[in-house]
Amino acid sequence: MSEQSTHTPAVGTSYIRTDLEGKVLGTAEYTADIALPNMLHARVLRSPHPHANILGIEIGSATKLDGVFDVLTPFNVPEGKVAPDVPILDSRVRFVGDEVAVVAAVDIDQAKAAIDLIEVCYEVLPFSTNVHDSLNSASFPIHSEGNLVNGGPLIESRGSIKEGFDQADYVVEDSFTTPDHHPASLEPRAALASWDGTRLTVWKPSRGIHADKNILASALGLSPNNIAVVGPAMGAGYGSKDETRTSVMAALLSIRTGRPVKLELDREEEFLAGRRRHSTYTEIKMGLKKDGTITAVHAKTIMDTGAYLSSGPGVVRRAGQGILYLYKCANVKYEGQLVYTNTPTAGSYRALGAPQGHFALESLSDKASEILNMDPLEFRFKNHVGPEGQPGERTTPRNQIIDTQPVEGGVPFSSNELRQCLKLGAEAIGWDRRDYIENAAGPIRRGIGMSMFIYRGGPGGQSNAEISLDQDGLFTLNVGFMDVGEGSSTVVIQMAADTLGIPPAMVRINGGHTDKTPESPMTAGSTLTFSAGHAAMQAAKDLKDAIINASLKLIGLGDSEGLYLTPNGVKSKCGESISFLDIVHNAGPIKTLASVTPGSKDYIVNSFGAHFAEIEVDTETGHIEIIKYIAVHDSGRIINPRLAEGQVRGGVSQMMGFTFLEDMEIDPHSGVALNASFLEHKSPTIMEYPEIEVIFADSIDPIGPFGAKSLGEPPCIAPAPTIANALYHATGVRINDLPLTPDSVLLAMKNLL
Amino acid sequence: MDSHLTSDRVDMDDNETTTKFIVNGREYSLKIDNRYTLLDILRDHLRLTGAKKGCDLGECGACTVLLDGKVVNSCQILAARIKDKDIRTVEGLSQNETLHPLQLAFIENDGGQCGYCTPGFIMAAYPLFESEEELSTEEIKLSLAGNLCRCNAYGSIIDSVAYALEIKTNE
Repeated sequence: MSEQSTHTPAVGTSYIRTDLEGKVLGTAEYTADIALPNMLHARVLRSPHPHANILGIEIGSATKLDGVFDVLTPFNVPEGKVAPDVPILDSRVRFVGDEVAVVAAVDIDQAKAAIDLIEVCYEVLPFSTNVHDSLNSASFPIHSEGNLVNGGPLIESRGSIKEGFDQADYVVEDSFTTPDHHPASLEPRAALASWDGTRLTVWKPSRGIHADKNILASALGLSPNNIAVVGPAMGAGYGSKDETRTSVMAALLSIRTGRPVKLELDREEEFLAGRRRHSTYTEIKMGLKKDGTITAVHAKTIMDTGAYLSSGPGVVRRAGQGILYLYKCANVKYEGQLVYTNTPTAGSYRALGAPQGHFALESLSDKASEILNMDPLEFRFKNHVGPEGQPGERTTPRNQIIDTQPVEGGVPFSSNELRQCLKLGAEAIGWDRRDYIENAAGPIRRGIGMSMFIYRGGPGGQSNAEISLDQDGLFTLNVGFMDVGEGSSTVVIQMAADTLGIPPAMVRINGGHTDKTPESPMTAGSTLTFSAGHAAMQAAKDLKDAIINASLKLIGLGDSEGLYLTPNGVKSKCGESISFLDIVHNAGPIKTLASVTPGSKDYIVNSFGAHFAEIEVDTETGHIEIIKYIAVHDSGRIINPRLAEGQVRGGVSQMMGFTFLEDMEIDPHSGVALNASFLEHKSPTIMEYPEIEVIFADSIDPIGPFGAKSLGEPPCIAPAPTIANALYHATGVRINDLPLTPDSVLLAMKNLL
Repeated sequence: MDSHLTSDRVDMDDNETTTKFIVNGREYSLKIDNRYTLLDILRDHLRLTGAKKGCDLGECGACTVLLDGKVVNSCQILAARIKDKDIRTVEGLSQNETLHPLQLAFIENDGGQCGYCTPGFIMAAYPLFESEEELSTEEIKLSLAGNLCRCNAYGSIIDSVAYALEIKTNE
């Protein structure tokens, strides 16, 4: 921004979410809201068996039914793949709910009637609904490579844990489990496909239209140039809405029938064929000196990926990052195993593995501080990783960008306000009074707990952005990323507007269509604000220069010195000016495209935070009530405080489901999901919503756009260990297995007696 | 205008009845399959897609509309029950491009993230706005307890409704 500019910055203000008006009017269009002429409706036949070979399918009666246009089976679809281990349809089914066949008919009733007429001959196979059975060598392999993905664990380490544990005065260890946690987006998966004879258009809820286009192309054997993917408004996904067969099946049916085909999953199907958070079993061990120094951390996690791999390798890696990096320690090791089971597939869900890993780590830290007879907060103050990073030698070559999930030591953080987060949170909750809480007579016990976290800070893949000054004198930001409800469009507009020196209301955003937008990475890993923000800023900076250059001639000046943008146009310090309209009318629309690979070769860019909770436990009912919840985050500079606060409050409340309520129950005898509905898979309602106070640390990251770092996923990491630690403080009961249901609390208290 | 949506529909014979009802002030007389729900009628026949299908089981509230002024899950109302009824959907709240105060309050307070639950929440809050009673936060929450928001934007939703009620009182 030019010094002379009179522009009021938009960054740092709570600019109104740009796409909210359509949502409150009911006019925002989601995939299922779109209808095309002559559209057919599809319905999926799903496996009743957890594991079986399909020997044959009789579809004669189904295809003869009035209004039925096509039936896809594993025996009549092309050989393409949706994912490396997922063919379009497979003659092997691997969980109850796996896709067997798909019908396209004139309406959904006829499609359902046709489904009932399909006869399938199954060869039922032995199956496993848990990782322990799957790892048992007697188990039938779910995929040809065996049930342990890659045949062994992912291993990451720094230093020598043997040496670390040898130096320890104490070793504290324990094991922890986390549940199958389902995002259960309110909008079930849906896809609408239309083939016009040469070109395919697919509408689907998407967090990466360009990635989805490539999946469709490879699955269907089409050139990506012959495919357009459109991402309408998305009823959220929380990371989970890609990599399914839904859009591929709709597309194939459209190609075969020549008519548009819509496939909408129902709620039960969304639970089964969607993606859940990986359940985990973690053994974790920490070596300690008498003075509280951590000498070693070692954790082994087994994750249940369900029937297919999905994003499992990324999730199992991310679960280890807190273990490897949250505490200053020279000797750490993480081993992560990913195991197939005959259950619904796990995949990406907000913060991917970090909540599971931090639950184990941060519960164990409280145990460690108890053995040391040290206050848990003091233990964190003493041991948290500081701005200087971890001890050890840098291994990344100097000319390479530092990974946002490093293992190596010897690399500092670009910014790290974890210590400030701990201080602010302790003050807000009143940590000082923690040792003096007095419980009245009766069943209620009060406690205060906390935990902290580390997470990727925002650098993602190569990002592109295009921005133009248009015929109407306004600006259009053209981007290929998707705003999945987190508000990224709004914050990117704010950053572009400030770079140009104009009000954000003058910038429109155009996105959601692969034909019309530059390639962009998925909305994943909390990278959007940082990565798309940098691309938008670069494009805006280039556009500003281009506009000033174009206006030089028009104003009659020789050089661009002292020219700047105002809401009305270009102005010089001597008072000459030209409006944007005059510029475009004379010079034509001006457009710039920027491509950036965000990141740093010198620093780790990470986000941090600490959560604190005060709770009341009813020792007669096992109910836990949150009295006060404080979430303190270092996400760098906050671009839009209201949206940011909403992200944190929403993320914390969403994880109250993980902490207290949600678990997909799979019957071990049949493989059937027992609670694939909102009624039985209890999610937090507005009644459970606790007051959540959000505090942002004073932090400006030198690398982030306008000083910003990531925020989308970080709010989800600390809630569970924070509550579990408060429960321990209140009752003396430590529960290592989520969710903390009333019966688990009561049972644990009974065992304590 | 959307005859293509039903043109191919297989003949349902005896299941169809001509039903008269009002939606957002407009009178309709439609030959509809009795097994259809109000939600399907709104979305598929009238192309009013503001009410969303989140579960089709009355468990999430995304399809909330008003039936004779009463909050209902439209996915639980069969066609036979809408005869001569007055139905109001989210599309019927704004008038001539002027947003209803509840809609404005949701924008001002960032009461929606992905927005899929937003029409349902606004319709569930509508009777609160019409009511003369002064409501506590707890009462607001109770009235909205049948609606799920998986983004868990509950804090901002409570803020939005409370803000709308406050604006109304101060007017």
